[in-house]
Formats: sequence, structure tokens, C-alpha cells
Amino acid sequence: MDGFTYYSLFETKGIEYLIIIAFLILIIPFWLFINKPVKITSHIKKTIGILSATVLRVPGGVFYSKNHTWTHLEKSGNAKVGLDDLLMHLTGEVNLKNMKAPGTTVMKGEILAEVDQNGKTLSIVSPISGELIGTNRLLTEEPGLLNEDPYGKGWIFKIKPTQWVAETSSYHFADEASEWFKGEISRFKDFLAVSARKNSADTTPVYMQDGGELADNALASMPGEVWNDFQESFLK
Amino acid sequence: MSINRRNFFKVLGVTGVTLATGKRLTAAPEAESKTEFNAMLYDSTKCVGCQGCEFACAEAHALPAPSFEDTPIVGVERKTDETRRTVVNAFKTTKGDFYVKKQCMHCNDPACAAACLTKAMYKTEEGSVIWRGKKCMGCRYCMVSCPFDSPKFEYFSANPKIEKCDMCYDRFKEGKIPACAQDCPMEAIVFGTRRDLIKEARKRIQESPDQYYDHIYGEHEAGGTGWLYLSPVPFEEMNFKTTLQNSSYPALTKGFLYAVPSVFVLWPAILLGIHQATKDNNPKEEENE
Amino acid sequence: MNNTDYTLPRDNDGKSIWKFLVSELKPRGKWLTPFNIISIPIMLLGLVLIVIRFWKGIGSITNLTQEVPWGLWIGFDVVTGVAFAGGAYVITFMVYILNVKKYHTIVRVTVLNGFLAYVFYAGALLLDLGRPWNVINPIIGNSFGTSSVLFLVAWHFLLYMVAELIEFSPAIAEWLGAKRARKILSGMTLAAVIFGITLSTLHQSGLGALFLMAKDKIHPLWYSEFIPIMFFVSSIFAGLSMVIFEGSISNRVFSDQITEKNHKAHDSILHGLSKICAVTMFAYFFLNMLVFVHEKRWGLLNTPMGYWYLTEMIGFVFLPMCLFFYSYRKVNILSVRIAAVITMVGVIMNRLNLTVIGFKWDAAQHYYPSWMEIAVTLAVIFTEIWIFRWVITRLPVLRESPSWAKNNEN
Repeated sequence: MDGFTYYSLFETKGIEYLIIIAFLILIIPFWLFINKPVKITSHIKKTIGILSATVLRVPGGVFYSKNHTWTHLEKSGNAKVGLDDLLMHLTGEVNLKNMKAPGTTVMKGEILAEVDQNGKTLSIVSPISGELIGTNRLLTEEPGLLNEDPYGKGWIFKIKPTQWVAETSSYHFADEASEWFKGEISRFKDFLAVSARKNSADTTPVYMQDGGELADNALASMPGEVWNDFQESFLK
Repeated sequence: MSINRRNFFKVLGVTGVTLATGKRLTAAPEAESKTEFNAMLYDSTKCVGCQGCEFACAEAHALPAPSFEDTPIVGVERKTDETRRTVVNAFKTTKGDFYVKKQCMHCNDPACAAACLTKAMYKTEEGSVIWRGKKCMGCRYCMVSCPFDSPKFEYFSANPKIEKCDMCYDRFKEGKIPACAQDCPMEAIVFGTRRDLIKEARKRIQESPDQYYDHIYGEHEAGGTGWLYLSPVPFEEMNFKTTLQNSSYPALTKGFLYAVPSVFVLWPAILLGIHQATKDNNPKEEENE
Repeated sequence: MNNTDYTLPRDNDGKSIWKFLVSELKPRGKWLTPFNIISIPIMLLGLVLIVIRFWKGIGSITNLTQEVPWGLWIGFDVVTGVAFAGGAYVITFMVYILNVKKYHTIVRVTVLNGFLAYVFYAGALLLDLGRPWNVINPIIGNSFGTSSVLFLVAWHFLLYMVAELIEFSPAIAEWLGAKRARKILSGMTLAAVIFGITLSTLHQSGLGALFLMAKDKIHPLWYSEFIPIMFFVSSIFAGLSMVIFEGSISNRVFSDQITEKNHKAHDSILHGLSKICAVTMFAYFFLNMLVFVHEKRWGLLNTPMGYWYLTEMIGFVFLPMCLFFYSYRKVNILSVRIAAVITMVGVIMNRLNLTVIGFKWDAAQHYYPSWMEIAVTLAVIFTEIWIFRWVITRLPVLRESPSWAKNNEN
């Protein structure tokens, strides 16, 4: 300001206010869009008959517990619970039995149901605490959905969680989950070697098929004792 | 669908900006012809207190002329009000009795113009600070802000005006000079550009150092004013406000007004973030109103 | 007599909306209550004075001068009134942003109060304008004085009233039985709350910023460049004190509308608010100390104005802060209320000190409000209380929402 000609300190205020109005209007769609629920993406690379980490479906936005159940909080505030793809690939086709009824309160770690394959059973343990408010009735007609679409139509329980944040904070998620699954497959290979030898008279090493790779539905051909061992090592 | 909506808002925003800046863009050639501020120099040593300026001002603006008894007397401080835009006061000083003409100072960065939310108080490019009645809502914020208390309000009118000296802006547009400068018989009031008048004032001080106190009142006060004063004695002796700051008054609100856009942008973002962060604690509560 | 299940009309019950509104306008309850007996004559007097003001000019009923252009109406009605309406943005911040569900029951009544306060104080402002018909100018774009703090404050008042109305509108929708409207309006609550908090921050501080240019005219004990921040911080506890004060009165007057559960919850709410007030006032007190040192005000303390300043700071900021602290620790609800009243007096003092008492404190003619200014102020306040009472008795503000509204998602 030289004091001899016109100059205004607040010349740009008008445009600034217009920009502010634009910001306030734009922030609404911006915020809504950024918060849209993450779509379930699937990686499917089918290598026939061979189970490896790349064949597994590991959708984002879902929490995986160490007992191979998954849980996902929906917008309605209820959480869906199901079995993860790795477990389904290991067991093959199973039936659900002794499912807890809706209306009961469950704690994390409590048994929710059993899966059964010709008398061999595994107990499914709840990943979260809350009130059981529903089960998937589609599964009684089409149990195959558990293997086909374990994260979508193959959900098993709907639970209203009471301590969602606290309980899911230690679970696997997104990219880290993929890494964990790789680790689990490798741990399973080792487990199978030990358990199969222990429980089978047949000393043919199962894990040596196809040059070190794991066959799909590896547990289906294993006896019930291996299933019990599996329960101890992987589903507790 | 959302893309169309976004485009719509974009167009709206650009249109709005264009409308706001369009005027300024077409006015760009005006800025280049940089008009210099008009100003007035008042030399107290030349003033004899004849009130010729008061009469001229009253006549030029359809205001009542000062009555016969209403003359500058030492000890009585006359003030401008809604019936008179300028007054002359007499002061007893260490060098004798002198006179001071008082009116709006036409600051370089007027507090009143910055304060006016309707741009009724307006600093023209030529330097005069005028009052545009059509826009005025009579909020009197200009009166609160003016360090010289220049604007005066018609408190007893149903359609009140603000009265203050406007450096005869209408006369200037007709090619004339302000009425007071025109009619002063002693040439105590001179009209010209601010640059020239400061030079003239400095020259007078330099040429007659005993006659003048070495300070041009209005050169820096309030960031510089359009009315410049020369005095024979220190300005405090003639009741000038000498404790005013030497920077512009609107600059005092700069800190606040400059922070406003930042708050407008940051607060919604921060509040959204806190809301999101605390929401997860009650996953089902977000439904309830 | 429990009015909690007052039936509200359902979606277009066959009854026309106009008939409904007309029936709602009919007064209920007794005419000759003590409050009515006091307020009605004053409101009528105020009306007469307002007519005179428009006929003969502002000077005919006020004591304003050329040197003191803003008096009681601006200093008290607008500046102090808006500070007290600050409860709305604080409570909505806690409930909708911080998700502190404890205060949910008082959101509606606080927002209603905030809305009415702004409407009436903006209304009172119109009385103070010399040419109120030109108030449209800075709104419609005839002339945007963007360099003016008052421009900002005026616009914020308008926008904030809109935001408050949106926040309150679900209650109106419930009253009218408009289910879909209620759903839509409830969805807009978060946006309105965020907008409201942003606006409040700026105009509470803005009311202080109005006086920044009057540096030489305000007594140095109250003037500083930090006035905007001080006004903002003090508006928090001023608003909450008003919530405590008004809540205590409403809960007694309208107690038949409030459920047993909410009555009990109210004490807990007051208890929580007292902590917030204590902490905020603690910070505010230290802020004042900082500004005091920064502005080098030591020499001013040993003057009449200095003693008055100390009275305000010690007696009406420090003391109630201690009282709030004590009330919180000892869970003493009565002393919460006392502390709130003292705080409110302190806020009135602070605002008036800056805008009226400390403004041109050295002028030859001291300004004091005329009885007519006071009468008009009281008339405005009483009218606001009347409207408040009308709304409370008819809309689900203190009483529970109708069941169809509670079961809906949002």
C-alpha cells in the first residue's frame, strides 16, 4: 500500500467465499463416496486339483479369525459369520449339524455348530460375542453353498455383536490375511505329514502327490482321527 | 448419475466465480490507469476562524448554515453532527490562539468502508470516502469502527442518513473543487493529489521551520489520511487524537477474516473425522436420531 | 397427569393440515398465571415503543449518541443473547460428533432454544437498524461488503438459523405426522450439525471481532486482539450455563411431559455439564491471564475500572469455576445451578463491559440505557418465552417422540 492509490486488503474475500461454498457442497458426495462399503473382490485362479494360496478366495473387508471362521459387519449393525475358503477346500463337502438356535447369546470361543462328513466332525467356534439372531436357511437345501460361495451366499450365522471392536482387533484382515493363509497352508502340509503317519497304517506320504503340492479336499480322504487332530491344531 | 451431479456443481462453481470476477476483469484497464488519491491540506497557521468553509459546506449540501452565535470560542469544543459536516474550533496554545477545522479524514484504508457490510461507506478510486444512501441499512457499524468518530447519524428521523464530509465528490465529478477549499479567503485549505500535498506540506515546514511544528498530521496516522494538517504547535495542544496507531485500522480485523476460510474448510473435515472415529464404539447407535 | 402419550396425528389422518394448525394455535391452560400477568403488559408496552421508534427514529426511545452508537440492544440482546445460545452447538457437538449419548435427551430443547434465540435476537437487531428495509442488501447481492466482520456475522446468523431449523425439523415432522419428511430430515442432521458447529465457531468469535477496529475506544482492560478467541471460549460455558438454568426451570414447569427416566437422567446431565463448564472456565481464566500479561495491563489494575475488571474475573469467572468444580466432585446439583447463574451474570458483565461499559468509557457523556430500551428488550425476551412455551406444549421436544418415529431407522 503506497498510500497514494486504491488498494484493498480484502479484495479476494468474495472469491474465497465462493470456493468455501463449493467445498461444503462437494464434501458431501466426497464423504459418502469414500465410505461406501468395500466390495468383495475375489481372486480366482483355478489350478485344477491343486490347492495353493493363489487359488484361495480372500475377500477384502472381512475379518478372519485363527479358527478359520470369518466375520463381517454389515451396515445394519449385525455381523455375518461363516467358514473360510481354506477350511472348505481342505474338507470338501460337509453338512452342518447341531447349530445353535437364534435367540441365544454366544460368547467368543463358544461352539456354534458342527460340520460333519460321513461321521467325521469338526466343531465351529464363534469368532465374536453377541446375540445369535439368525441362521442361513439356504444351507439346509443347498449345503454346497458352503464351498461354492463361503463368503457370500454360504454365510452361516447372523450375530448382533456386543464387543465388535475389541474382539476383532486381533483378527486378520486384507493383505495380511493373504499372507496368513499362505502360512496356514504350509503349516497344514507339515501337520498332515505328522498326523497322517500317526493315524494311518498306510505309510504313503500324502503330501508327496504332484511334486510336493497339496491335493484339494485333502482331509476328505483322511480318517476321523486326523480330523480330531486337525480340530486341535487349527480350529481351537 | 453422480458424474452428472458433479459436473453440475463444477459448472455452478465456475459460473459463480466468473460472475464475481467478471466485473473485476473488465475493470482491469481501469486499474492500469491508476488514479491518484485526492487530498486536502489544511494549514492552521493561515486559518482565521471565519467559518467561510462551514457556510460553503452547508450550502453545497443543503444543510443549515451555522447560526450567528455559533462561532469558534476557546474552551468550547464544537463537534460535527447530523446537521453539520465540518466545524472550526478555537484553541489557546503556547503560541497563541489558533483554529482547527474538523471533518472526516478520508483515510487511505478507511475503517468505516471496511466495516460497512453493504458497501454504503465506500472509498472511491479518487480517494474520497462517500456514503451511498441507497445501500445503507443504518447499522452504525461505521460509527463504531471510525477512530475519528466521523460518521454522524440522524437519530430522530424515520429514514435516517449518515452525515459526514465526502470531499464534495459530486462537485468533483462536475470538475469543481470542494466547496470549503473554493471559499476559503485565506487559502488555508488546498485541494490536490495526496502526493503533491505532502510535498507541499514538507516544503512549507522546511521553508518556515519556526512557523510550523515538524509533523504532518495525517501522513501516517491510521495508515495515512486524505486530510493533512499543518500546525504551529504540537498537535496535542489542539485536541488532535495523537495516540492513534500509524497503521490501517481494517488491518486489525485481518487476522480474523483471513482465518475464516481455513476454519470453514478444516472444521467440517475434523468434525467428520471425530464423528467417524467415535462411531465405531457404538455400531448400532448410529441409527438412532 | 401424565402427558407422555399425547397422541399426535398420523399421516394425513383424513384431517386437513390447516384445520390441524388452527386447532394447535388455540391457547391452552390458564390465562392469568403470574408469568402471563407480568409479561403481557410489558409485551404490549414494547409494541407501543416499537411503533414510536419507527415513527420518530431510534433516538426517540434510546439514549444512543453520536459517540456511542451501539447500546443495550446490540450489547445485550444481540451479543450476550447469542453467547447464551451457544449451548446448541456444544450439545450437538457432544451428541452427534463425540457420540456421548448421555446428553441426547436435551438436544431438542437446546436446539429449539438456540433457534429461537437467534430468530429473536436477529429480530431485535432489525429494531436497532436505522433502515431495516435495506437489510436485504447484503443478502441478495446488491452489495456484498466482504471486508466487513459484520457481513460475516450477519450471513452466519442467517445460515445458522437454517441449520438449527433443519436440526429441529424432525420434531416438527413428528408433530405433523409426516413420516417420510422426518426420515429425510433426520438424514440431514449430521450435515446440519457440522455446518452449525463451524458457523458457531466463526460467529461467536466474530461478534468479538466486530470490536477489533475500535481499538482506541474500548478500555484497554477489555480490548485485545484475542477478543474473538475469548468470546468463542466463553460462549461454551455461557451456553451450557443457560442450558442448566433453562433446563432446571423447564423441567419444573413442564414436568408432566417428562418421563420418569428422563427426570432422573436430568440430574446426571447437569452433573456432567458442570464438569465441562469447570474445565472450560479454567482454560478461559488462564487465557485471560495470558492476554493480561501480553497486553501489559498491570498499571491499569489500581483504577476504578481495574477493580471492576477484577470483580468480573475473580468473582464471576474464577469463583463459579471453583463452584462447578466443587459441585462435580460432591455431586451437588443445587450448587451446579447456583454456579450456572453466577456464570451467566459474569458473561453478561463481560459482554457489556466490552460493548457498552468499556466502550468510550472516558466520554464526557456516559451512556446508560433508557427505560424504554430496557422495556423493549424485556418484551423481546418475553415474546421468545411465549413462543418457546407454545412449542414445548405441542411438539415432542421434552416428551418422547411418537412410537412410529422411534422404531424407524434414523
